[in-house]
Amino acid sequence: MPPITQVPANMSLETMSCTRCDEGFEPQEKIVNSNGQLWHIQCFVCAQCFRTFQDGIFYEFEGRKYCEKDFRVLFAPYCNKCGDIVIGRVIKAMQASWHPDCFRCQLCAKELADSGFIKNNNRALCHGCNASIKASEIGKYSCHKCHGLIDGAPLRFRGEVYHGYHFNCTSCGIELDSTAREIKSRTGFAANDMNELYCLKCHDRMGVPICGACRRPIEERVVTALGKHWHVEHFVCAKCEKPFLGHRHYEKRGLAYCETHYHQLFGNLCFVCNQVIGGDVFTALNKAWCVHHFSCDMCNQNLDLKSKFYEYDEKPVCKKCYEKMPSELRKRLRIAHENTMRKNP
Amino acid sequence: MSQVQCLPVANKNMSKVKKVLEEARDLQIKELDLVDKNVHSFDELPNIFNMIFVTRITLSHNKISVLPPAIANLNNLEILNLSNNHLEELPLSLSSMPKLRILNCSINRLNTLPRGFGAFPVLEVLDLSYNNLSERELPGNFFKLETLRALYLGDNDFEYLPPEIKNLKNLQILGLRDNDLLELPREIGELSRLRELHIQNNRLTVIPPEIANLDLYSNKSVFKMEENPWVQPIIEQYLLGITHVLEYIKTEAYRILYNRHVTGGGKSAVPIPPRADKSKKASRARS
Repeated sequence: MPPITQVPANMSLETMSCTRCDEGFEPQEKIVNSNGQLWHIQCFVCAQCFRTFQDGIFYEFEGRKYCEKDFRVLFAPYCNKCGDIVIGRVIKAMQASWHPDCFRCQLCAKELADSGFIKNNNRALCHGCNASIKASEIGKYSCHKCHGLIDGAPLRFRGEVYHGYHFNCTSCGIELDSTAREIKSRTGFAANDMNELYCLKCHDRMGVPICGACRRPIEERVVTALGKHWHVEHFVCAKCEKPFLGHRHYEKRGLAYCETHYHQLFGNLCFVCNQVIGGDVFTALNKAWCVHHFSCDMCNQNLDLKSKFYEYDEKPVCKKCYEKMPSELRKRLRIAHENTMRKNP
Repeated sequence: MSQVQCLPVANKNMSKVKKVLEEARDLQIKELDLVDKNVHSFDELPNIFNMIFVTRITLSHNKISVLPPAIANLNNLEILNLSNNHLEELPLSLSSMPKLRILNCSINRLNTLPRGFGAFPVLEVLDLSYNNLSERELPGNFFKLETLRALYLGDNDFEYLPPEIKNLKNLQILGLRDNDLLELPREIGELSRLRELHIQNNRLTVIPPEIANLDLYSNKSVFKMEENPWVQPIIEQYLLGITHVLEYIKTEAYRILYNRHVTGGGKSAVPIPPRADKSKKASRARS
């Protein structure tokens, strides 16, 4: 607000005039002084509505003063993003006006007012986004640090890609390349902001276990089985490839199987009860039985190791039952048996 | 009733069968063995349908010709063995038994299966070998028996096997020995768990190449194919061994031979071999 002053004693009333009406001032009259320009109180008004400024607040445009209302109506720029009038600093860009806070990168929403922007495909982008778009267009990465193109494999670190040479090994200080390994500082946490980088040599010396399936280091829970280490989710049944996730597994010839497939493949489901055979397994006729379920297919009487039995459709039949079968069938079975014997003695 | 009744005459005359049943009832024995007891009818087995605690009944080597529908009262029955009897048909109620896992009706005189027979909820092993069944007698829902892991149809009168066989997803054993089969459906190749296939003594000349998809090679597998009028190339491979046959039917040469054979259909140059003479089969006997 410009001060309203008594005329200073050293200024002569005759030489002073009102900036608006050019008339002189009466002695004792109150004069408005704004930046060295003088006005009659009644002349210090809005150039549009000729009313005094409320609370003395005015806006200047091309040498004229306006009340807030008229200034807004006549000249104020509107922000292209939020639609509100921009008071104070105006960003003129992309053929529009913006609040400094509203003018942001259209991809990552970073403020662009002070860092500058690049017009890309009619979008205002920050340097970083522009670089990565350009890089992806030609099938490459752009470094998150210098925005330059990365030739060859990038170094991945805390979720971004970089030139390896921006970093050094946390342990030996050697300059890194894309083979560097990122180590989680706190296993089991998703946050990666504490992660650190090591060169391969130091990494291997740290004894981080390597997964037997994917050959990548295991930074979370480690399963140790079959003489190797595994990511929990990579230790899977050799048949169905479902992870065991702590469930029991069965080993056979260097491979691990879930219960179902182990028994399905290696035949340790009992032919009678179709359950996993807990105790001793009785194997005969390409099948397996619980010891107490191995019995004659016809009379269901238990058979033991010493019992003689006949094969009928690859099932065991005790001697007593065999003799009670129709003689016509027995004869055919005997001939078939003899033929097989002749072929495979 | 704690009072002991003294009935010496009755006890003396009580048949062995009744003793077995009485003891089973008193001691709540879950497995009933009544093998070769000259039983002609369930009427000789008093109150057996009230013994709902039994899980297995074995009645093989008897002369039973009718299985009453009341068998389905036995809610806990898991194994029913009726092999070597005189059954000519089965009651539909059988297929509603909630726990029946193994049903053995081999060596009987079954001429037909009831409509809806395929409704067993948990049946795993079905032995219908040595009867008088053919594809015409299979009810519409027969191949809905998804829990089935072994199906024995040997010694019957099948000439064709319906392609719906592929719906028996859990089938591990398929017995078709001693039938009149003229061809097998390609769909057998979709039974991915099959590890026993018995097709000996039929009228087969070719096998679908899809059979090579199955795991019939391993030491847990059985593939029996002898005594069929195979085409010459199959005979030659068979003499070298089953694995040679399974390798051979994978070849393009065989695929061409097989397709020609199938499209040739009834006009095949080879005359259809006659059916085996089954007049002496016990299953043909009239009661």
